Amino acid sequence: MVSLVAEDLTVEFSSGGYLIRPLHEFSFRAGDGELVVLLGPSGCGKTTLLSCLAGLLTPTAGSIDFDGTTVTGLVGGALAEYRRHTAGVVFQAFNLIPSLTARANVMVPLRLAGVPRAEAGNRADVLLEQVGLAERGHHRPDQMSGGQQQRVAIARALVQDPPLVLADEPTAHLDYIQVEGVLRLLRGIAAPGRMVVVATHDERITELADTIVELAPHRADPGEEPHEVALAAGEVLFRQGAASDLVYVVESGEVEIFREKDDGTEERVSVVTPGAYFGELGPLLHLPRSASARARTDATVVGYNSHLFRRLHPGAPGRAP
Amino acid sequence: MAPMLVVTLADLTYRFRQFLIAVLGAGVVFALALLMAGLVNGFTTETAQTVGGVGADRWVLTVGSNGRIAAVGVFPEADVARIARMPGVRRSDPLVILPTQVLRTTGGDITVNVVGVRVGGLGDPQATAGGDLTGNDQVVVDVRSGVAVGSHVLLGSTRFRVVGQVENRTLLAGTPMVYVPIGDAQRLALGGRPLVTAAVTTGVPTSVPPGLRVLTNQAVEQSTLAALGPAVSSINNTKLLMWAISGIIVAALVYVSALQRVRDFAVLKALGSSSMALFFSLALQAILVALAAALFAMIASQFMDGLFQQPVSIPTGAFVALPVVAVAVGLLASLVALRQATGADPAAAFGG
Repeated sequence: MVSLVAEDLTVEFSSGGYLIRPLHEFSFRAGDGELVVLLGPSGCGKTTLLSCLAGLLTPTAGSIDFDGTTVTGLVGGALAEYRRHTAGVVFQAFNLIPSLTARANVMVPLRLAGVPRAEAGNRADVLLEQVGLAERGHHRPDQMSGGQQQRVAIARALVQDPPLVLADEPTAHLDYIQVEGVLRLLRGIAAPGRMVVVATHDERITELADTIVELAPHRADPGEEPHEVALAAGEVLFRQGAASDLVYVVESGEVEIFREKDDGTEERVSVVTPGAYFGELGPLLHLPRSASARARTDATVVGYNSHLFRRLHPGAPGRAP
Repeated sequence: MAPMLVVTLADLTYRFRQFLIAVLGAGVVFALALLMAGLVNGFTTETAQTVGGVGADRWVLTVGSNGRIAAVGVFPEADVARIARMPGVRRSDPLVILPTQVLRTTGGDITVNVVGVRVGGLGDPQATAGGDLTGNDQVVVDVRSGVAVGSHVLLGSTRFRVVGQVENRTLLAGTPMVYVPIGDAQRLALGGRPLVTAAVTTGVPTSVPPGLRVLTNQAVEQSTLAALGPAVSSINNTKLLMWAISGIIVAALVYVSALQRVRDFAVLKALGSSSMALFFSLALQAILVALAAALFAMIASQFMDGLFQQPVSIPTGAFVALPVVAVAVGLLASLVALRQATGADPAAAFGG
């Protein structure tokens, strides 16, 4: 019975001198045999999350626990072992080795793990048969359709019989006939003893999912009433990289908008005074916060959902992030 | 490493044309380097053949010639007879060697080294085509002069009949030797006076007249070759440049290959490959390309020596050394892609 628990995952990296957080205190959990769909638009952190789950990227903070193993605590040989035997990955755009045949591509993980050639070849044959490509084993990727390449990629991900299969945008480069075949395959391999996590922006896949994890920023309910927030001087209202939900209007006091730089310093963007608003672009465009907001003095702000805000401020969006 | 060997060989096949171009490019440069080695060796070989072809045990030259047979330092012909009477000497014959003379032929002017010999004496060559010298106004030429037996040529204002040809008689970077009776040589350049530039002996003279010195064949060869020192140095430097250029060609190929395979490296790392294994793959590619280029060069060089006027004699050692140099070139070339291999981020495999 495998289970997956990700708690308070934060991933930070530097870009152009600023601190970027594709994941900010993100949590989710999934159970054995489930097909989990990570849903969200481009740039919301789906691939970053998959990289963390695959053990290819170490989060800045938070933890991932899979089947009783704390993945985020693994290093060296244990991490390599996890990558080889626990997590099988289907990469976006297939990412097969172009010079190798389908059979050789499927064999690669086994051969890298030291499995003898004959044994690896037999295993590859079985898997290619399973994904319906027994006759295409000696073809190179450029001699196969996108759907066939994706099925080879799935066979490669399954070759170590991993309990966790991760697929990044598995339908992104396929026509609808190929999509059907690939999704049927992914649905089929999500069975007791194995969990399949699919990252996609394609909402159609959610119909097949056991668990849907939305990575897009929470959208405030259009009917949600404005609510007032009292801030003490120095108190942070939201941080750069956090999910955007509300647009704020300053009622009293001053709020400082600043960007966190990768060297630990801050860069002030603006100071918002009573009557002015800030934080409108994130909720409108469903993007994470591009800057942080902190009370410069004791202040009171009112948060509006984007629908209500646009009704009240038809000239917006305006000047602050 | 075995799985990476399969990946490496598959990639070589997959990018066959790309690698073929590099093999041809580096191969031609390797071949030129071999020919450079052949040129330098050719200078040594031609000197040894020409000096050795005289059949002497010792050479007697003026002290001022510093051992160079092509340096004109004269002494009386009568000294040759005196040397012949010295203890230890069985025979002594005169030579008049006149470097860089103009031989006028129907096909144009040719620069030659004229050797005046006593007919039937030491230094009188045995023709490989036509006949030997028998009297005045006759000349035996090296085949590289391109002058046919039976034709007539001018040396100075004297007309000579070509009676024979010899092979492998050149000096100073392929300049052909032409052999005339010694009296003709003395009339050509010494006003007919009884002077010589060298005495050659069988047996070893224990003493010689004042102003003369005795040299072995090896000493004469080395001194004569010294005149080509700057040329040899330039050729050797060019050879080093050829090695460097071939290295740059292979390095460029490996670098481009590595850039094309960045995604593959990331995927292979994500699938469990180590950085060292990836570097091994690149280094192996570079070495295989360099070795293929070396093989091509060994074959091509056999057909390219006609590009040079000078005698080209590629030493066996150069053929043995070339694969070793190729491996070194491949290894050095692969270093340029070290960062691509070891720095590949496995998380980049997720990119679309």
